[in-house]
Amino acid sequence: MNCSQFEEILHELDRPGTDGFAGRDAAFAHAESCDQCMQLLTQSEALDFAFRTISERTGREQAPPGTEAALLSEFRRRNAAASWVRRWQMAAVGIAAVLLLGLVARFHYRPSETANTTESAKPTAASKAAREDTGTAVPAPSVANGQQEVAGNQAPDPESATPFIALPYADDALNSEGATIVRVILSRPALASLGLPVTDIGTGDRIPADIVMSEDGAPQAIRLVAQSDMD
Amino acid sequence: MEMTPKTEISDDALLRRMLAGDKNAFTDLYRRRHPAIYRFALHMSGNRAMAEDVTQEVFMALIREPQRYDATRGSLSAFLFGIARNHLRKRWEQERRLIPIAAEEDELDELTRSAAHANGNGHGTTVSFARDFESRDTVGLVRRAISTLPEGYREVVILCELEEMSYEEAAAALDCPVGTVRSRLHRGRAILLEKLRDTHSRPQPATGKRIGRSVL
Repeated sequence: MNCSQFEEILHELDRPGTDGFAGRDAAFAHAESCDQCMQLLTQSEALDFAFRTISERTGREQAPPGTEAALLSEFRRRNAAASWVRRWQMAAVGIAAVLLLGLVARFHYRPSETANTTESAKPTAASKAAREDTGTAVPAPSVANGQQEVAGNQAPDPESATPFIALPYADDALNSEGATIVRVILSRPALASLGLPVTDIGTGDRIPADIVMSEDGAPQAIRLVAQSDMD
Repeated sequence: MEMTPKTEISDDALLRRMLAGDKNAFTDLYRRRHPAIYRFALHMSGNRAMAEDVTQEVFMALIREPQRYDATRGSLSAFLFGIARNHLRKRWEQERRLIPIAAEEDELDELTRSAAHANGNGHGTTVSFARDFESRDTVGLVRRAISTLPEGYREVVILCELEEMSYEEAAAALDCPVGTVRSRLHRGRAILLEKLRDTHSRPQPATGKRIGRSVL
């Protein structure tokens, strides 16, 4: 080993897994025979001593407890907001699932429904309106270009309704191309859990609601409908 | 560097639990990882307030934007060190001070200050390098000399020598090749030795109180 090689590995003589550690015996032997390298080795060892001392003295340094408290506070705040959003998302998914089931059931049983109209199978306001307007069993009128409020206002049923309330992450419900309105009946607690104004809309346990569905089936907005026969 | 025992839950598992809203998982993760981040910031800046701020910002970032962490690109620890480095740089840019050591004694001097101030060192004479190195006073000098290293060398010296990371761990934390860590450590140590040789070859101030910025 020459002086240049010695200097190259000097800083890692005590670092396992390195070239310096592997060649430390040769390095020490070289230092024994070279005053300059021995001096360098002494200085390097002194530097290592200083590093270890600093490391020991600062090894227990930590941020003050206040930092952890502030971070936990922020974590709780963020988590509460995220939890609220998750509740809305779950509710929206639940409503969408109910609607889908309703649509499937409606489509499936339509022939027998038209054949056997009975008192117990009253059509909803939306389906009545759909039949009057189009003569088909399409469940709801179009709401493109902001006409869904008009359609709702022109409905012949003696019912009052809240304004449409956009659901979280909904697109522009008023301008959704090909959107439809679907009437569903939901329990009061379920609607209340969504933050909807159920106290303004009668006293029954089950409340009709109109939901604006976009073309891809995602619920966009909801309104509550008061019906005398439900109360 | 604190190594995670194999029986402990991994950082990534804790992070997943934290993302699901588990407060205790966040606390565990913070308590496991923050000391190294804090000490790194403290050694880099020489300033406790800045180290506290940087530590807080690092974990705030983890709370607010956890999606920025990509486990396929490196460990969570390396991710946190990366944020810490960015925040330190921002702070220095704001303060327009690339060498973050104050003209006054910095706060780590409390820990490294010598009881040997009165032991005959720094009395206006040139002292033996080897003898002086054995004193705690020199430990303070080394710490200050580290603070004046260029940032790239300082990071490596702090991680490899003070935090006792392996080359591989430091390379992951600094997001650079292992060879770069090795060469920077070699050069950083050489600079430190040069600075200390210069210091010890000069007459010391008679007060023995401190070595000024111009010296280190």
